[in-house]
Amino acid sequence: MKTKLLLRACMSFLLSLGMAMSLMAQTPRVVTGTVVDQENGEPIPGISILEKGTNNGTVTDLEGNYRIQVASESAILVFSFLQMETQEILVGNRNPIDVVMAENIGDLDEFVVIGYQSVRKRDLTGATAVVSTENTRSVTANSIGESLQGLAPGVTVRNAGGPGQGASVEIRGVSSFINASPLYVIDGMIADANVTINPNDVESIQILKDASAAAIYGSRAANGVIIVTTKQGQEGPARITLSAKYGIQQLPRGPEMMNNVEFAAMQRRQFENSGLTPPASVTSNFDPTINTNWYDESTRLGNVQDYNVTISGGSKTSTYLVSGSYFKNKGELIGTDFERAAFRINSRSTKGRVTFGENIVLTNSVRNTPPFGNPFYDVYTQLPIIPVQHPRYITNANPDGWGIGTPDAVTYANNPIALSAINTQRSNFAKIVGNAYLEVELADWLTYRFNAGLEASFDHIKTLRRVGEWHFNQPAAPTTIQENRSTYTSLLLEHTLNFNKTFGLHDINGVVGYSQQQSNNQGILAGRTDIQQFGGRYLETIGSATGDPIADGFVNTDFLIVGYLGRLNYTYNDKYLLTFTGRYDADSRFGADNRSRFFPSIAAGWRISDEAFFNSGFVSDLKLRGSYGELGIVTVGSWDYIGFLNSNPRAIFGPDQVPYVGATQARLANPNLGWERRKSQNYGFDANFLEGRIGLSAEYYNSLSEDVLVNLPVAFYLGNLGGDPAVNAASIRNRGLEIEATYRKYSGEFQWDVSANITTIRNRVEDVGNFGEGIDYIQTGITRSQIGRSIGEWYVLKTDGLFQSQEEINNYTGPDGQLIQPHARPGDVRFLDINGDGQINQEDRTFVGSPWPTMQAGGQFNASYGQFTLNIQMVGVFGYSVLNGVRADIDGYQNTNFRRDISPWSPDNRNTTDPRIGFAVGDPGLIDNARLESDRWLEDASYFRIRNLELGYALAPQLNQRLGIQRAKIFISGQNLFTFTKYSGPDPDVVGSGILNRGYDQGNWPANKIYSIGFNCEF
Amino acid sequence: MKNIYKYITIIFTAFTISCNPDLDRINPNQPTMDVFWNNATDAEQGVNAIYSTFARVGFSRWMPIIFITRSDEGYSASPWADLANAMGGFIQPDYNFGPVVDVWRDNYIGIFRANQVLENVPLIEMDAELKARLLGEAYFLRGYFYYNLALLWGNVPLMLEISTPTDLPPTATQQEVWAQVERDLLNAISGLPARYSSSNDLGRVTKGAAYALLAKTYMQQEKNNDAESALNWLVNGEGAGIYELASGYRDNFLIHTENNSESVFEWQFAVNPTEVTDDDVATFNHNYGSSIAQFMAPPGIGWSDAESRTWAIEEFLAERTIDNQRDPRLSTSILYAFSDERGPEFTMVYGQSFVQRYGNTNRNRAWHRKFLNDHWKNEEGYRSPNNYRFIRYADVLLMYAEVLNALGRTQEAYPYVDRVRQRVNLPALSVARPGLSQMAFLDQLKHERLLELFGEGHRYADLIRWGDLNKNLASRDPGFNNFEVGKDEFLPIPQRDLDINPNLRQNPRW
Repeated sequence: MKTKLLLRACMSFLLSLGMAMSLMAQTPRVVTGTVVDQENGEPIPGISILEKGTNNGTVTDLEGNYRIQVASESAILVFSFLQMETQEILVGNRNPIDVVMAENIGDLDEFVVIGYQSVRKRDLTGATAVVSTENTRSVTANSIGESLQGLAPGVTVRNAGGPGQGASVEIRGVSSFINASPLYVIDGMIADANVTINPNDVESIQILKDASAAAIYGSRAANGVIIVTTKQGQEGPARITLSAKYGIQQLPRGPEMMNNVEFAAMQRRQFENSGLTPPASVTSNFDPTINTNWYDESTRLGNVQDYNVTISGGSKTSTYLVSGSYFKNKGELIGTDFERAAFRINSRSTKGRVTFGENIVLTNSVRNTPPFGNPFYDVYTQLPIIPVQHPRYITNANPDGWGIGTPDAVTYANNPIALSAINTQRSNFAKIVGNAYLEVELADWLTYRFNAGLEASFDHIKTLRRVGEWHFNQPAAPTTIQENRSTYTSLLLEHTLNFNKTFGLHDINGVVGYSQQQSNNQGILAGRTDIQQFGGRYLETIGSATGDPIADGFVNTDFLIVGYLGRLNYTYNDKYLLTFTGRYDADSRFGADNRSRFFPSIAAGWRISDEAFFNSGFVSDLKLRGSYGELGIVTVGSWDYIGFLNSNPRAIFGPDQVPYVGATQARLANPNLGWERRKSQNYGFDANFLEGRIGLSAEYYNSLSEDVLVNLPVAFYLGNLGGDPAVNAASIRNRGLEIEATYRKYSGEFQWDVSANITTIRNRVEDVGNFGEGIDYIQTGITRSQIGRSIGEWYVLKTDGLFQSQEEINNYTGPDGQLIQPHARPGDVRFLDINGDGQINQEDRTFVGSPWPTMQAGGQFNASYGQFTLNIQMVGVFGYSVLNGVRADIDGYQNTNFRRDISPWSPDNRNTTDPRIGFAVGDPGLIDNARLESDRWLEDASYFRIRNLELGYALAPQLNQRLGIQRAKIFISGQNLFTFTKYSGPDPDVVGSGILNRGYDQGNWPANKIYSIGFNCEF
Repeated sequence: MKNIYKYITIIFTAFTISCNPDLDRINPNQPTMDVFWNNATDAEQGVNAIYSTFARVGFSRWMPIIFITRSDEGYSASPWADLANAMGGFIQPDYNFGPVVDVWRDNYIGIFRANQVLENVPLIEMDAELKARLLGEAYFLRGYFYYNLALLWGNVPLMLEISTPTDLPPTATQQEVWAQVERDLLNAISGLPARYSSSNDLGRVTKGAAYALLAKTYMQQEKNNDAESALNWLVNGEGAGIYELASGYRDNFLIHTENNSESVFEWQFAVNPTEVTDDDVATFNHNYGSSIAQFMAPPGIGWSDAESRTWAIEEFLAERTIDNQRDPRLSTSILYAFSDERGPEFTMVYGQSFVQRYGNTNRNRAWHRKFLNDHWKNEEGYRSPNNYRFIRYADVLLMYAEVLNALGRTQEAYPYVDRVRQRVNLPALSVARPGLSQMAFLDQLKHERLLELFGEGHRYADLIRWGDLNKNLASRDPGFNNFEVGKDEFLPIPQRDLDINPNLRQNPRW
């Protein structure tokens, strides 16, 4: 009751504030009226009404009524509201003027930010995707990148899943072996939009995909640019919005593993098959009371909390927005969590021709996670006969008695519970990201802007290693505390001139400018061994530890980029569009001879629907466009172009055996390092049918990356250390189609829109540089990137079922009659002798599938019926294979628990795909069966997923009024609830390990299932 | 118009905020190479960096384990099946198998460092004697790295200049590699001192070490005359005044008696309790100890990734000292249930009796003891400070005896074997078995070397030299059932290097 009164009081205060802002007109004429929603005929409060060209304005009251005095009958009233079609009405002699407002459907007049400039979306000539933040906000995401999955064609998002983990985002494939991440620009500041940035602060996201769109960012734009604009205050009375969300989080389960009895039986069989005595732990010493389900013990129900409050408002001359937010994610793996508190201030003030503004966010994030280990292996491989904790494991080194295995029950897996209790790492990231700018309107067509951006991050990582053991045969090591403090600063300074002038049918606009950015990352590390413990409590400061000190300090990066940029858009009669963009960049990360370069691009558009000959009532707008240009990307460290002396080696000499400093060049250097360059072409069209109800865009792109750095394995005999030296030698092409379609139905009570997008990426290595005669590929473990094929295709042995009898093995012979698999026994995997030399070795590896999808698709459905709203998001990725590394470990049978549904081959069990089971030491057949480099572990990972389901209910306006609020909505949502796939691991959406092993599932944190409930309201 | 000036002032002020940027950023962490190699300190640090290679994982852990397990004195029963198979099982399907590749790689890292010294130090203006010594050290170490490569891989690329990323050297034959080892060691001999005047240099390689390694190199090629003259310096020449057998046999394996009079060439290790990595260039705070003890220690303490074959125990027990005791070298070399003659109740395994620790199990297993630290603590770790005495004077004496015997001077060879036997109270061979034929004396030497050098990594080279590395060893070491003559004498060249360099050849039959 109290709240309601308070809210009402606030409301009337705010309303009267709005009223007071109206200025008296010279020749007063009073206009009244009511504004209602076209959707349901209900009155809409809070609609802004402005007399055009003046500061005179008001807002509608709770019943949708307004009253305004205007200067004369020729005055024009502008009715506007967020997400509603703005209407302009000539006053004339009408009174009252009742207005029906409709939801804004056509987005052609929408302005989009394309870097240093905003242009009308309809005038775009480059490939620019505009992401609906309505969709990004309805998913629960750690980072902005994660929230983009499936929403824009050409954008590949793969989720990392863990608390505080970012997502892998790629735009139009991969054109570099080293770095595939796009450039993020947050409110004009080039800064990383990682998990420290609150996705809820975002007003709009634009993705610049082709050379024309991205060229304004020149040497850093080759992987595409994601422009993030945060929310701004709107002219009008203060608005307060609140949102809260709580969700529970669940891991999708991987394979079910055996319990103690099943495991013991299987391990007995394993040893007996090999003619060995089974370990006593599964025979005479088997303890039926120990039956550990490591998956259950190591995981828990996670949760997500997300709270936001925003206050915004302003006048004609100044606007403000202040927001505070808190996000917390308790991970499903014990010992993992992440929380972020953020505070944002965005404001903008104008005085005369000068405008000043700033957008600043302060965030503090804390992530807790064990500093190493991957429980997504351990929970499957750890043995069920080992207890989590047991008195019989207690020793001086293991006072808590963590179960770690014995000589009789050997495991290489960690005890994840012990590991997370003994080793903790708390990372605190305090960060400021923002910009401040000054704009001077020199003429009505010319504006100067000075923009200063800052990203500063203060990181503090504290790592503790307490007493205890978490794996078998653990080497002795002292307890330690380590604290790592580092700072990252990036300062951007820019001067730009924006111009916009119309000469009759000619319209010219654009920007020229200067930009400079300096980045520096440095840190110190301190620590000490032998932390003290009293009564079970550790003293967690370096000073309280009693052992040897640790100290280190370093500057990781320090570089400077200076650029001159320009863009010219020319439009003739709204029909012919032309854009020239160019940027000249110089970067300190290259040697003096390779330091600077010009990146130009050109684009053209033709609005064919405006031509006289084009006369179709069906097609309301059709624009053809094409672009060509060159972009760059820096993939080197600050000083990679120079050879450095490494003074870390130490030699031990003397009777006291003390270290003496050694110095050597450890890493080979290439002084000719330069930018990777990407030349890209883009052709597309944008069409609208049936007065904007159907939108369709399609693009074809073809980009060729040249001078790609090959930071790839150099031969071991070079003696190189500390990273392989890079050479600008390779070339990669990405081609594909992107199609996006939308249908909107915004009339009647049931209103809905549906959007779908499809992306294809054909990635092809064109050149890998000179690696010696005949070597036209780059080999990395289980993948090979070969000319004419995609990056990192699977290059492994091919299998052909199991040998069913000794006879089959004897008949499997090479050209000289030799046995191809002499070590094999019945029940072993048959490998194909690809080169026909009569033996199976590395020469028999061949290409077996690709981690690159043939097609990716996304779909969104938004609907409202009465007070209900529905948001459905779908993601599909098709036609690619993943190497299931966890399964390779489990089904290799050695020192691991077994899958519950395993069915090993035996003479009595021939109809199976699981090979015979045995103990592999001295049995090469079993070793071959478990080889990682084999197609046994490759799986079709195509999937279709209901990414998000959100059902909302808007409280009725009458109720809202009683509560004194304008809008309120409650919702429930389910994320990643349904996934359709044949992949046997927990999640086919695998990030992999690096660009060259993109499909290698090494215990990837699977996409969480999140069930959440929340509300948001505005008053 | 007044406003225009105002705005111009604002803009001008804003513009001055941008500084005049300097695009030459200095790396504050490390100097560039062009300021190095200027003086004696640089030269000495360059040489120290070569020694630093010894503590790297491939070198300090896997290389001794490979030498031990590939002979019949050891094998791996590691539950890590790939390791067990590769180490002494002669099964290595993956030519890039980490522990094996690490050995290859670390030897070449050392070679790269040595090449930097050998190319740059001659140009430095400095004290001529010191320069000669430092170059001698670099030659010795490069020769030693190639010695390892020649033994393990045989046919390898010869890198003799500073590497560049695009080097594509051809395979050199084992014979060519041996020739390079000889050249390097001869250069080392001419530059190295017989002793160092400053004790701070204790642990640096000496002329004696170079002669001993050169003798090994010659012996592997059956160049017995050359070997005799190299060893002569050590046994009868200047070396005779420098080296003598340590009074206690076990002193050669304890941390308190390192660099003793018997030490000819010794790998130096120390503990760095705060180390964070085994990579000696990633940070100065790296491991300068060896992790080998953790990998060889018995289960419950270490990984037991390389353990001892038990057949040799009988050979030890066949000897009795002059006061009718067991050969003391047995319990120094092998940790097993009966390391203490009285049995498992008395045999101590890191502070617990064998029975306390293992009950009735593990009675038929045995572990190499010489790398372990059980003489001073009841645990292991990755930071063993226990130096590896790679060439001991006892080895030199037995080598000399072998060479003399090979040259038909069997009778002259007796005294050197006697010295080694009498140190551990065994009766002199000239008393116990006088007048052996050349053939019988060689057989006796095989026994003597087995007992004196058991578990020190020399037996693999011995078996090759004696022509004994073949399937016949399978009765003692079942791993040799998989041994293929003409193939398994060498390890496979890492696939990665073959993939990159088409001029390289894989070893035969791999």
